[in-house]
Amino acid sequence: MTDIDLSDLVANMLSAAGDSLKDKWPESKDYAESEFKKIGETIIFISQEVLAGRMSEEKTKLHLEMQKNSSKMVLLTLEGLGLLAVEAAINAALKVVSDTVNSAIGFALL
Amino acid sequence: MKVKSNPFYAAHRLAFCAIISVLIFSAGCTSIKLIADYDEVIDSSVTEFQKNMETHLIKLERNIGTDDASHENNIDFYDEARVELSSIRVRAAAILKNELTLTQIELLIQNLENLEKIHELGIAANDIPPLRNAFNTGTTAILKLELAKKRGIEVEG
Repeated sequence: MTDIDLSDLVANMLSAAGDSLKDKWPESKDYAESEFKKIGETIIFISQEVLAGRMSEEKTKLHLEMQKNSSKMVLLTLEGLGLLAVEAAINAALKVVSDTVNSAIGFALL
Repeated sequence: MKVKSNPFYAAHRLAFCAIISVLIFSAGCTSIKLIADYDEVIDSSVTEFQKNMETHLIKLERNIGTDDASHENNIDFYDEARVELSSIRVRAAAILKNELTLTQIELLIQNLENLEKIHELGIAANDIPPLRNAFNTGTTAILKLELAKKRGIEVEG
């Protein structure tokens, strides 16, 4: 079994998440980086315990499943933050339309 | 101005206003929501769950190797935690456009089930760090999204 490189692991996780989120990525990157680093460190800890014979295969599977579930929860938060960013952009555009129409007709129609 | 008084342009302006109004009113109002609103109950319940889980892990850590850390002596904790998460799940499911949070709660329930399976196999000191990370990462993710739903309020990351 080869050693896992934490920085490579975190970089690959960030790259995969960034590709999915595209333009909504910059504001979420710090949070994702911090969480993926903790998950990466935990996966390395688990693999070290397995290699040293201190963790059974059955337990290892359960631990990895839990880390996978936690990663999914982080990704769902990133998706939600992306939706909130899109929502804010649409509402900003709608406000411009509303302000323009109200100003043109001289009273608050919208 | 001549142009403004021209009936042709006046009709165009009216048509423009009508189209914009229909577009905006058909979207519901002058703003849209793609995701549920902030829910204080989910916020406080998940925070409480995290606190109870951390207390459980600290007690296990302190008592490893003794009867106090056995699965049999901690069944009450798992029963109560299941009820707690089930209640949060029902609440999350009742809120419109809340699928992301609902899925997160379901993943948290799966993690609780996995923790109990690990406990049944016999908890060891090297189980605690990954367990703590799984629950802290998961609850932080749920709370970060919930707080972001307050909209317009900067949430520290």
